[in-house]
Amino acid sequence: MSADQKQGPYSSNSEAVRLELSQIDASIRSAALFFVIAAITWLMIGTVFALLVAVKAHQPNFASTFEFLTFGRVRSAHLNAMALGWASNIIFAVGLWIMARLCRAPINHKGILFIAGVFWNIGLTVGIFGILRGDITSVEWLEIPKYATPLLAISYALIGVWGVMAFRFRKGDHVYVSQWYILAALFWFPWLYVVAQVMIIWFPARGVVQSVTNWWFAHNVLGLWFTPMALATAYYLIPKVLGRPIYSYYLSVLGFWALAIFYNWAGIHHLIGGPIPVWLISAGIVASVMMVIPVVVVGINHHMSIIGLYKEVWRSPTLRFVVFGAISYTLVSLIGSAMALRTVSEITHFTHFTVGHAHHGVYAFFTMIMFGGVYYMMPRLLKREWPSSFLIKLHFWGCALGITIMIVALQVGGWIQGLEMNNAEIPFLEVVQNTIPWLKARSVSGLFLTVGHIAFAANFFWMLFAAGAVRAKQGPTLLGSNEGGSAR
Amino acid sequence: MSEEEHITDPSVKGRGSLEKAAMQDEHMQDVHAQLMREKEEPQEGFSPVPIFLMFIFAALCFWGGVYLVEHSGGYRWDAYSPDFDPNAGAPKPVEIALFDRGAKVYRNQCAQCHQADGNGVLGVYPPLVASSWVTGHPQVVSRILINGLNGPILVKGSKYNGNMPAFGSSGLALSDKDIAGVITYIRQEWGNSASDVTVATIADYSDLYAGRSVPWQAADLKEGLGPVPEVTAPLLEELPVDGEVATEDGVTSY
Repeated sequence: MSADQKQGPYSSNSEAVRLELSQIDASIRSAALFFVIAAITWLMIGTVFALLVAVKAHQPNFASTFEFLTFGRVRSAHLNAMALGWASNIIFAVGLWIMARLCRAPINHKGILFIAGVFWNIGLTVGIFGILRGDITSVEWLEIPKYATPLLAISYALIGVWGVMAFRFRKGDHVYVSQWYILAALFWFPWLYVVAQVMIIWFPARGVVQSVTNWWFAHNVLGLWFTPMALATAYYLIPKVLGRPIYSYYLSVLGFWALAIFYNWAGIHHLIGGPIPVWLISAGIVASVMMVIPVVVVGINHHMSIIGLYKEVWRSPTLRFVVFGAISYTLVSLIGSAMALRTVSEITHFTHFTVGHAHHGVYAFFTMIMFGGVYYMMPRLLKREWPSSFLIKLHFWGCALGITIMIVALQVGGWIQGLEMNNAEIPFLEVVQNTIPWLKARSVSGLFLTVGHIAFAANFFWMLFAAGAVRAKQGPTLLGSNEGGSAR
Repeated sequence: MSEEEHITDPSVKGRGSLEKAAMQDEHMQDVHAQLMREKEEPQEGFSPVPIFLMFIFAALCFWGGVYLVEHSGGYRWDAYSPDFDPNAGAPKPVEIALFDRGAKVYRNQCAQCHQADGNGVLGVYPPLVASSWVTGHPQVVSRILINGLNGPILVKGSKYNGNMPAFGSSGLALSDKDIAGVITYIRQEWGNSASDVTVATIADYSDLYAGRSVPWQAADLKEGLGPVPEVTAPLLEELPVDGEVATEDGVTSY
């Protein structure tokens, strides 16, 4: 394999594969480009909502003269803009692209994919406006009003099916680990979404079954939609950029099936202490702790694949983000397993610790890996290079510092808050006041993240609209010296 | 594979003459270089799973099994405490003394009129403290509770002419246990020191007067009394289990 690479572009015996890749890239270009533009637009909108909410948490009167800017609505608008706008759009772009490439099957009928993507975003726009208008449902993670959700579900079906079709018409015998994750997630997400919608919104189940369904859904959006897609991306990009195989197929298998078996039980740990039959909660706790297995396995598999190539990782914009995300995956999951234990949950439940944990997972893990995916995918789709390595560095440092500050502030502050709430001697209002410095730190972290996002968006649209900005022959945009190989 | 097939731009794919022209194009060559620069599609090595991991995972599974056995509440739908032990037999019911139960009923049902100190309001609501109607034959006070009382009555030298509602099945329908409790309470609180009135006694009286739909008059109260029932039942009464596990820590709350 390494011999091939040394021979230069026109003598490689993998030319047929490369030609196929080029055709596949072309087949998905318009749709993927649309999804990335939509994702980045939602990322910016979600960032504005996030800043509003963060400031409101310590200045309750900030921008509260308008009803549609009150905390409850903006917070949910932020969640949905990020989860269904940024995260899901970027999954459709990067996930489908990786799936098509690995299956070596071009996306046919890309027009349908494109139109379904347009409708997904129309549905989401209607939903976010509905939330701001006050038509919000009271169910966390399912706040989008009833009139927008069927459109989302139908659009999803028309988008997800192309990943399944690519797999159906795949070439080659070996199914790579990223393909398992993407294929599984393409089935898991619609199952989660439809079951939760039906059992909570359309034909509500009675009593605590609603809460159980709610947290089963909410945690699995992270665990069985964002997580597998981000892991698939990391599994694709690490060996792809470094030109080195993934350490162990056996670990990949173990990691995938352990995630598939254990994750969907874990959401019930959100209801520790609630009026739910205790065996259900205990099963959720055990499954949450068992998540240590896939997490450690994936962590070792990734670590052993990059070991010794840390300079390459640091130099490649793609891998700098992906490896940050992969390390975060290990950390956030181990913390999550610990949080599921009853003794820990007694302290962290109902505090900002949980909020910090959620951002640790969705941002430091998922979003950072997806940023890496965009940095790798866009040059292939546009056949251009990223215009500015400075903006990439600004993006990385803004996001890396921002999310680190946020997690530390919310988790330290949240832990203190939890200890104080458990102490009956301390009046509740005093506990609330003691969280204010930590919440201010969170707002500061939001500014860092905003700077990172603006740098990312600027670089992206610069690349998109200024056609001749950087030509391919100048080589890849790397962070640091271009000498010593061309890792991307 | 011939040179022509290396074209990466789909817009010129399949058009041979354009392809050749395109290959001269500097831009096309740049693009080609970008594609060729890519490393191989990912592959997987086959390193074995480290053995220490298997020990860690085995330990985790063992812990999970133990945890489920310890904290699954026997997989009952109605067990809510992580420490519920299905082998401990029937759940230990909370025992509330008849007197304490009565105190609670009194606060909720009686104290508005007869006052918390049992002294009533002179001329309006008769006192219960040291009243022979209360501390005398248990059947008298039971009749009043079950069917109510109206018309004039003389209590501790003062005359009252009010309307006491019925608390038995024809009225506010308190349970026998609540009526027994509240009677026991008023016969023993505030310095009164009459006997307990058991649930069984009240159950008998309830059956006896279930058909009566009119309140008692003071004159009739002491007519036709049965013998004073003996207090043989235990002082502590059990709450009904009603198919629920009503342990005190049944629901852990944070």
